[in-house]
Amino acid sequence: MGRHAVQRLLMAIPVLLGVVLVGFLLMQVVPSDPALVRAGPSATPDVIAAIRRDMGLDRPLYEQFGLYLWRLLHGDLGVSIINNVPVMQELGNTVGPTLELMFASLVWAIPIGIALGTAGAYWRGTVVDRIITAFAVAGGSIPVFFLGLLLIWYVGFKLQLLPFTGREGPLWTADGLKAIALPAIALGGTFIGPVARMTRTAVLDVLTVDHVRTARAKGLGEFRVVTRHALRNALIPVVTLIGLQIGFLLGGAVVTETVFSWPGVGRLAVGAILSADFPMAQGTIIVLSLGFIIINLIVDVLYAALDPRMRAA
Amino acid sequence: MSATTAAPAPAKEAEAAPPRRPGTLGRLLREPVAAVALLLAVLLVGAALLAPVLSPTDFFDNDLGSAMAVPGSPGLPLGADAQGRDMITRTLYGLRLTLGMGLAAVLLGGGIGALVGFAAAFYRRVDGLLMRLMDVMLSFPAILFGLALAAIFGPGIPAVVLALSVATVPLMARIVRGSALAIMALDYIEAARATGMSDRRIILRHVAPNCLSPIFVFATLRFGQVILLGSALSFLGLGAQPPTAELGAMAAEGRNFLFFAPHIAIIPSVVIFLTVLVFNLLGDALRDALDPKLRV
Repeated sequence: MGRHAVQRLLMAIPVLLGVVLVGFLLMQVVPSDPALVRAGPSATPDVIAAIRRDMGLDRPLYEQFGLYLWRLLHGDLGVSIINNVPVMQELGNTVGPTLELMFASLVWAIPIGIALGTAGAYWRGTVVDRIITAFAVAGGSIPVFFLGLLLIWYVGFKLQLLPFTGREGPLWTADGLKAIALPAIALGGTFIGPVARMTRTAVLDVLTVDHVRTARAKGLGEFRVVTRHALRNALIPVVTLIGLQIGFLLGGAVVTETVFSWPGVGRLAVGAILSADFPMAQGTIIVLSLGFIIINLIVDVLYAALDPRMRAA
Repeated sequence: MSATTAAPAPAKEAEAAPPRRPGTLGRLLREPVAAVALLLAVLLVGAALLAPVLSPTDFFDNDLGSAMAVPGSPGLPLGADAQGRDMITRTLYGLRLTLGMGLAAVLLGGGIGALVGFAAAFYRRVDGLLMRLMDVMLSFPAILFGLALAAIFGPGIPAVVLALSVATVPLMARIVRGSALAIMALDYIEAARATGMSDRRIILRHVAPNCLSPIFVFATLRFGQVILLGSALSFLGLGAQPPTAELGAMAAEGRNFLFFAPHIAIIPSVVIFLTVLVFNLLGDALRDALDPKLRV
């Protein structure tokens, strides 16, 4: 397993370099001159030239890339064009809330999705199965912003039950928990359907194998057969598939953050792009990409830990 | 004369022939859910195509007097938006653009993906390299491509369509490679090779036609997903820009009036939901109908 993890880690390096390179090229192809934007509309040519020199924009491309790498390694992603705040500082403030939102969404959506999928597989072909499948397909088809807007309009505005804008504090405080409830319901709600479908398929595959039949034959209770003998084996593909879907979840988080004004990386990225704040856009995109690489790496390693067959390989 | 004598002949033949296995369409229509999904898909596409004909008002018409009129107001069955534009007209045109963007992305991304898939299956030397590249692309979600491309080209429809296409390429490549490899292991491909047929001819005549059903199933499912993703990008403001009518962008506009006139955001959102749902159901049903082996 250790070897597998190291192998995966090594394979992530070229991808990482690719992301860094794309991040650099992003700044090269944008149609605006960063020095010009920074200097403002009333700047004299002298000032613009000084800023250009200051930002290293007058040097050859490879030197600029070296400079960019050097700064990146030192955690310097430049400064926002809009408010002059260091990009790294903004990222530091927003990564936490994004992780918080993803955690709060997964923590309830995954168990419910797995339970629904297992129930669907166990009662396959019955009304229960049909209802669960219909629910899962519908859940996988609803735009997350629609679910979010419905929750804001009904639970937040009509019933006045929960707040629906911004973050009120860490998860373990009552206010923080209240503030994250609606965004986490919206984001998690779109995740239940896919998890339930994947689990159903995986459990169906396992329910018919020999050792499950043996477990039944030796008189184990149905609940035990399903949870201990079927679900446990089905979890291997489910974990992998959930891992692959985390990207989808982070994509949904970008939208959810915008809907609920949640102060996360996604909202920061969208705001930066819409206001043409290129250093900020570049920084957020690099960090989001890094997030995917790390998540995929964790899923890979977790997969090996769950499946003993992978350890030998 | 010749017509009258020729006509009964096929009928007789049909009588004599053994009862035919129902075709794909027949199998599809036997499932009530699939039949309804197909009907709704045809209606949605029809409504989108006929938007200029079906719209009760001209696209640019607005009447500030009826701004935010609720559904059911006189002459406005679905109400009006914040600028007094008829919601039916806006939604029909919005649907048209949303479906068009989805179609463009599936054709572009799916086409390139299919080429990559065939190339990987047929030329084993580039297989490893191509598929590793696809794996890397697959590890990033469409929304991220959308953010990056909108940062480069500026927010707009091209950025969104390109992002959705890029996200579709690796998925289609994997599916096509898989089915092409399965077919190429069959004897008749070996036979075709032995007769000295060119690679291009083998791919076009013998491999590609047999990969069509998985391609078609995937394209249908992907169409729904791409619409979901595309409308999310438009909702974020990275896609269609006002005053263009696009369902996701309309939902974003309506968000500002959610408490006074919720229908402005809800109507386009419901249409997106319905469209995605219909194509997801249709894709699932098509998969079952085209390949009964895959049925669970």
